[in-house]
Amino acid sequence: MPNNVIECVNLTHYYGKRLIYENLSFDVPKGRILGLLGKNGTGKTTAINILSGFLKPCSGECRIFGENMEAMDPVQRRRIGLLIEGHVQYQFMTIEQIEKFYSAFYPKWRKDSYYELMSLLRVAPKQRISRMSCGQRSQVALGLLMAQDPELLVLDDFSLGLDPGYRRLFVDYLRDYAKSGEKTVFLTSHIVQDMERLVDDCIIMDYGKILIQCPVKEILDGFKIFRIHDEDGRIELLSEISGIYHPSKIGKCIEFGTFLSRDQVAGLLLSKGMNADFEMARPTLEDAFISMTGKY
Amino acid sequence: MLRPIIYKEWIKTKWCAVVSLSIMLLFTVYAFLVAGRAVDLRGAGHIWEVMVLRDAVFVDILKYVPLLIGISMGFFQYMPEIYRKSFKLTLHLPCSSFSLIMAMILYGTAVLTACFTVSISVMAVCFSELFPVELMERILLTSLPWFVAGVAAYVFTAWVVLEPAWKMRVINAVVSVLLLRLFFMGPAPEAYNSFIMWLVVFVVLSVSLVWLSVVRFKDGVQD
Repeated sequence: MPNNVIECVNLTHYYGKRLIYENLSFDVPKGRILGLLGKNGTGKTTAINILSGFLKPCSGECRIFGENMEAMDPVQRRRIGLLIEGHVQYQFMTIEQIEKFYSAFYPKWRKDSYYELMSLLRVAPKQRISRMSCGQRSQVALGLLMAQDPELLVLDDFSLGLDPGYRRLFVDYLRDYAKSGEKTVFLTSHIVQDMERLVDDCIIMDYGKILIQCPVKEILDGFKIFRIHDEDGRIELLSEISGIYHPSKIGKCIEFGTFLSRDQVAGLLLSKGMNADFEMARPTLEDAFISMTGKY
Repeated sequence: MLRPIIYKEWIKTKWCAVVSLSIMLLFTVYAFLVAGRAVDLRGAGHIWEVMVLRDAVFVDILKYVPLLIGISMGFFQYMPEIYRKSFKLTLHLPCSSFSLIMAMILYGTAVLTACFTVSISVMAVCFSELFPVELMERILLTSLPWFVAGVAAYVFTAWVVLEPAWKMRVINAVVSVLLLRLFFMGPAPEAYNSFIMWLVVFVVLSVSLVWLSVVRFKDGVQD
């Protein structure tokens, strides 16, 4: 039986009359880094809010370490590190003050980990967080998480506002930290390239539902992008075929993604009376994501 | 848990606390100087007579100062929590959310009480130079509801600021203004003498409103 750290069962949530999810269920096993991918408005932050206990779903249940989030013993929160979207931390504190504040709450506090990361920033210990750049704030937030040493990290859009250098620094530190300590990580990001370097498994969401949940390797190995030349651009013929995601037309070419094999695709195209002369490419995770969710 | 919370709240509010105390003292001393000058010009006997017969208390200038200080303290303490929803960080701390909020309110109330106590003590010492004990008591008892209003204003500000939805925030603000009017309706000095304990009980009970805002924040209520 898998040792799941997060178990979400039949989550349904509405904002007013707008449905966000219906019967959404997923698990995150111990020691895995799982990325939640989805376009804007598909409910990534909603999922994080439910997971961190800041949103009561209309129905369904979310359990972390086997405890329902809504009734969780507060002491259990020591085991959960939370990164809020935008690397939010107490703006009015300095990096020294914030370390001193948090250390009082966590018995296993690792002051050295925090100051090791802070030493990479060119900031004075008495500099306020409000006067730091977004990149520097991200390192403060990451340093605090590492010092807390939680078993589960929940990170909401960790790449928001970071330049490529800070994103890479964040990803490398986080992956090394998570893998060396057998940490479980649940994260969202709107920059999918980062996920490829970081996550073991991913959930790709569309509006109201999960499109796929599997290891990233499975997507990278199994997903393919096909490009066919079709004078008539009969895209509607492909839209009807299950297993083919969001065919799109670019000029006289039709492009689509699928897990089907080359032979299966050739057979399907012939059966629809279409040109079976195609190009096939291995996609990056970002290509696969866009192919599965569509460009619009 | 209490020590780190006090540490955090102190970082947010230390300047507000220092400025509030200074303003409170300035107004108190100014009221004393005005009363002292009146005694010098018209004689103590005449001023005492005016106080008894014409309901003068010489501290009217202080009337709304505790109220404004209470509101400022509420803003300085709770606005940084709401800014970019960093209140989530507080609620994610490994302690009961209720205890955390009560510790925060206790801190704010303690700072205000200390500030007001200094003002009341200065008032008591200074005015005892000018007036007999009975009149000094009259001044203190008249001003007491204003200080209680200061604490009430602090609690209501917390209620309004921590409320997550704007519509409800406006409603809370309107209700707060109406409730605060209760503290300033007395037509004469010492009008609240028999009622002041009930006002204190009312302020204590109104703390539950802050918890209501916190529960709504935790439930993810939004406009």
